[in-house]
Amino acid sequence: MSSVGQSPRGWTRGQVALAFLVLSAAIACGLAVYSSASSLTGLSRAAFSVLFLPLLLSLVLSFLLDPLVSQMERFCTRTGSIFIVYILTLGLFLLAALWLTPHWQEFWSNMRTDFPRYTAQVIDTLKSLMTGLHERFPMIEGYAFPTKVRIWAEQLMAAILAQTPQSAMKIGGLMVIVPLFTFFFLRDGRKIMRSCVALAPNRHFEMVRDLSYLISRQLAHFIRGRIIEAIIVGLIITAGLSLTDIRYAPMLGIFAGVTNLIPYIGPIIGMIPGILIAFVDLGAGGQFWWIVILYILIAQVLIDNFILIPVLISRVSNLHPLLVFFAIIVGGKFYGIIGMIIGVPIVSIIKITLLEIRAYRRMFRLPETALESDRPH
Amino acid sequence: MDPLWTNIFHKKLDEESLAYFLKHLPIFSELSPRSLATLENIVHVRNYKTNETVFEENDPGSGMYMIRSGVVKIFARDQNGMEEELARLGPGDFFGETTLTAPAPRTASARTLENTQLVGLFRADILELAERKPAISSSIFLGLTRVVSERLQAASLELRRLQNQLGEVISPENVET
Repeated sequence: MSSVGQSPRGWTRGQVALAFLVLSAAIACGLAVYSSASSLTGLSRAAFSVLFLPLLLSLVLSFLLDPLVSQMERFCTRTGSIFIVYILTLGLFLLAALWLTPHWQEFWSNMRTDFPRYTAQVIDTLKSLMTGLHERFPMIEGYAFPTKVRIWAEQLMAAILAQTPQSAMKIGGLMVIVPLFTFFFLRDGRKIMRSCVALAPNRHFEMVRDLSYLISRQLAHFIRGRIIEAIIVGLIITAGLSLTDIRYAPMLGIFAGVTNLIPYIGPIIGMIPGILIAFVDLGAGGQFWWIVILYILIAQVLIDNFILIPVLISRVSNLHPLLVFFAIIVGGKFYGIIGMIIGVPIVSIIKITLLEIRAYRRMFRLPETALESDRPH
Repeated sequence: MDPLWTNIFHKKLDEESLAYFLKHLPIFSELSPRSLATLENIVHVRNYKTNETVFEENDPGSGMYMIRSGVVKIFARDQNGMEEELARLGPGDFFGETTLTAPAPRTASARTLENTQLVGLFRADILELAERKPAISSSIFLGLTRVVSERLQAASLELRRLQNQLGEVISPENVET
């Protein structure tokens, strides 16, 4: 080989040219991937935000319906039993819709006239409270609290009026997508889980399979428990309110049930509209106090704390109040009101997963820990 | 006794199929074709390379493995960490069946000696099946119990025989002679 055709390191010119070409191609590819990656993540984020709610609702629904489907499966195929459960659920929904539709129309027109009345009454009460406060603490005179409340209430009403057609569209879309997703989760959930577990390497496969079973069983138990709890609390509030002359009893019951999904803060938020309406419409009489007792003592303390939570949800999965606040704040930051409702269950799910792994490790005393304590001294 | 004659009146299964393999294991020999089809859906087929660990002693045990092809060595380690071979299993053999119902750490280690295909059946799968199809899961449990009882019986007979032998060895007449 001649020294002319060689670079100092012993490469031929051809090799140097090839290396140069390969390097520049690699850099170009890297740049292309990098620049498209940002749009790719943007795309996936958009897809995720669209799919998040229907996926979550379908998952919750499939957890809820799974025991029913499994029971039915003793008599027919899985697909058949899903159809039977679907027809039953659809019948229930139709009955509920038949019962609600006339009320709904009435409720909506009443709400439009009543809401300003309620806020006006609340603002009046606040004003008298403020004048009382001003007499005692003259320094807060400049703080126009009632005005703020009025502005806030007007904004809320406007938002509700503007959002209703939009959310109706959204709900319509969900009514189609969620049953479809739920059907496939119910039918193929086990297969999806199996193919996920099958990705585990041979050495850890057995443990992954065991843990996936334990965790999903706990999760199903937890989700089912929470939702049954919310339904029972909602029913009790509705029944209790129906005994009084208060209006919108079913709506207040549904609201209390949904907010009951959030621990600690949810029940308080759930009782605010009921107590406000009772205060404005019925005055501070016997019925008002009955409603307060119903919300706090009967629904929360007696039914929820003493009966439902110990029976349906194990105390182990209870979260520290501080963690609940964090979950609500972070959830609200990401997904607004829906985020506030689902933030706490998601944190509970993480906690249950960690607890199950710890219990599993303790049950078998995995080699790492066993070796240290068993090692001969 | 010939498998050809015992099977000739049954619907013939494809010899390559997983159901055919399962049908010829003593645990599942009494299962109906429908139960076999269900069983086929809950077992896990795993491929192992040569010298791959299936499980180690003291690992959490939660199920049994059946050997579809290949060879598996079952061994224990002594105090110095030396491997002592307990058994060498081939196609059609199964191991780990005692942990299928009772969660317990593995009492020995298992490693493949060549490229091996194992079929795993785990407690989680059987418990899930028990909720959905109790009849099929109970027939699987029955087969499992039969095999485990047979082994237990054989083991206690062996134990008695050994005890008798030991008694003969240390009986006074033997000591005198």
